[in-house]
Amino acid sequence: MELSYASIGEEIRLREFGMIAYIVVLASLLILSQSGCSDRKSAGEPVGGKVIELTYWPAPNPQEVQVADTLVREWNRLHPNIHVKMQPIPVSQSTEEVLLAAIAGKTTPDVCSNIQPAALYDYSRAGGIIPLDRFPDFDSVALSRTPVSLLEQFKSDDGQYYQIPWKTNPVMMFYNIRMFEESGIHQVPRTYSEFFEAAKKLTRDLNGDGQIDVWAGERDIRPIWWQRLFDFYPFYVAASNGGTLFTAGTPDFDNHFAEAVFEFFRVCYQKNFFPHTYFQGGDPFLLEKKATHFSGPWEIATLRSLAPNVRYDIAPLPVPDDHTGPVYTYGDYKNISIFGTSKHPLEAWQFVKFLLQAKNDLMLLRITDQVPVRGDLLTNPIFSSYFTQNPKMVKFARQAVYTRSIGPAPDLKEILDAISQEYEACAVYGKITPERAVHDSFLRTKMIVEWNK
Amino acid sequence: MRLFPISEIPMQRRSRTGYWFTLPYFIFFGAFVAYPLLFSIVLLFHRWNVITPMEWVGLKNFERLLHDPLFFKAIWNTLRFLLIHIPLQIVVAIGFAVLLNSQIRFRGFFRAVYFLPVVVSGVVVTILWQQLYAFDSGLLNRMLTIIGISKVPWLIDPNVAMPSVAIMATWKNVGIYIILFLVGLQNIPHELYESASIDGATSARKFFRITLPMLNPTIVVVMVLSTIGGFSLFIEPYVLTGGGPMQSTLSAVLYIYNQAFYFGHMGYASTLGFVFALIILAVVLLQRKVIETEPTA
Repeated sequence: MELSYASIGEEIRLREFGMIAYIVVLASLLILSQSGCSDRKSAGEPVGGKVIELTYWPAPNPQEVQVADTLVREWNRLHPNIHVKMQPIPVSQSTEEVLLAAIAGKTTPDVCSNIQPAALYDYSRAGGIIPLDRFPDFDSVALSRTPVSLLEQFKSDDGQYYQIPWKTNPVMMFYNIRMFEESGIHQVPRTYSEFFEAAKKLTRDLNGDGQIDVWAGERDIRPIWWQRLFDFYPFYVAASNGGTLFTAGTPDFDNHFAEAVFEFFRVCYQKNFFPHTYFQGGDPFLLEKKATHFSGPWEIATLRSLAPNVRYDIAPLPVPDDHTGPVYTYGDYKNISIFGTSKHPLEAWQFVKFLLQAKNDLMLLRITDQVPVRGDLLTNPIFSSYFTQNPKMVKFARQAVYTRSIGPAPDLKEILDAISQEYEACAVYGKITPERAVHDSFLRTKMIVEWNK
Repeated sequence: MRLFPISEIPMQRRSRTGYWFTLPYFIFFGAFVAYPLLFSIVLLFHRWNVITPMEWVGLKNFERLLHDPLFFKAIWNTLRFLLIHIPLQIVVAIGFAVLLNSQIRFRGFFRAVYFLPVVVSGVVVTILWQQLYAFDSGLLNRMLTIIGISKVPWLIDPNVAMPSVAIMATWKNVGIYIILFLVGLQNIPHELYESASIDGATSARKFFRITLPMLNPTIVVVMVLSTIGGFSLFIEPYVLTGGGPMQSTLSAVLYIYNQAFYFGHMGYASTLGFVFALIILAVVLLQRKVIETEPTA
């Protein structure tokens, strides 16, 4: 092809024009990025040439601190312009108190990964956290990891997501294989009737002194509010096919499911399948004094270290006899939120996305034995080696997709205390009917919720 | 050094100096009485969990109180406690006072021993009784089992728990009332007993016709003090039972404490406290009116 000077001059002019246009576009972008439109600037870009500092609060237990420390080191290595400082949540009576105090004092971190969904009501009322769905890629990030059925339970009443689910600890039934075999039980009870049938055989006087030595199960008889997260509430979630105590912020448990659960525990105490005493000599499941135990995956590590000779397996919670469909349970969720005090929410969101990556979820599993809220735990090859080495965790991974949180509610402690008082009167002492126990606790819950409005 | 007679110091300066001496009291009063009192009145109309800022709620705390059966249950529990505790305390204290007023050996020693629980910490006493009352391993039930009586569910039966608390509270406080009754007994003129003996009165007759009527003013004092003390029942159920079983030992003060420090409802707890104070005022006024209309001597 022959090129004339004229055409060369034309080409040069065009190139010059293109260059000028390119510079103009770049300059415009730069001006836009500097004009306070922080969500649109690219993450990690130094502000005024300075390195961005983020603070991250994980739970203060040693395993989670180890996970957080490793992840933060890796992040800082990969992102020299966004430096994350890891600081375990200051030790106090509860994480919720610390975070509320931090919100009041405007000393919250940028990111926290120990958000209890139930406490979100107080955090958002105190104006401490930001909606995460303001970030354009929130839906794709959340849904690529968490099934929509699990994700939606964390949508707040205003339709926004102030948290993204991170990990869960489903409450399931541990059972002692030896005690089941010795009692001639070859099938794990799935319904209340099957449980009672098994319990008759499991509850025994071993030395013939007229006193029961081993029980089918046991619960702390003291009306301590959080104990209900390991009996009444998971059983209610299971019986009601994934129902929770609240619907759109209104108490919604004055129903036959709750009555069935109270009746189940009432029978357990009435027939002496559960003892009426408080064990002071240690965990009776570890001591093989009870055949079943309702707990989460952390129990595996406890059994491994304190009772390595106990043969056990894990099964879903018993449900009412007419129950159909999958068995849901309560999952003790811990989620991630970004606080309103963050000066760099976009960078904080980048860090949150990093925490949620599959390889980092694997690290969480390996170090803490806690279940990441992922739909692909049993299909993604990255996790297969872990589950091969820890076959009992497969049960929890399967259960994780059938878990419910305890919805955001004001004064959850007092609400669970109200249920505990009725649980004690109805189940432990058998002084009131399940109908009255449910109705009374419902009325008190309503009063507490109304007072908080 | 020359000392000025007080009359030589100007009147105005003398007065100002006097006021400075009262300052420590006013500082104490301001910090520990006036400020908390005023603050608690402010709290009546607020919701506050100590951590987040206060929120104005108007009369919502009072509205909640009216619909709170647990508060009324706690009031009833406290009254149940008083109904058991006050008569028991008066009977036991008079009994021991009469014994300690008579000529017995080691009288001084026994007087000191019976006063000992009063000066021992309430928490220590309660933990001690917790061990005594334990259903399976407690000393009381072990002794009952030895003599062939079945075990008593001291703290785990809702019907028995409050009487158990009342027995323990009586044991703890009776020493102070023994002292009061001893003072009352020693003020009764001996001539009355001598005259009654000459007339052939039995010991029981002397007790009911002389001792008890003459102790009436002390009984009034003990009743009022026991009522006020009984209304503030807290340590015993807090340590011994936590308010259970089935909230049968939940006293009004324990419920107020729970609302304030367990659930973080400072405003509501303040409202409960305010209404409870009004109830105590009403009871004490009623008590005074009833007692003061009766002849006391």
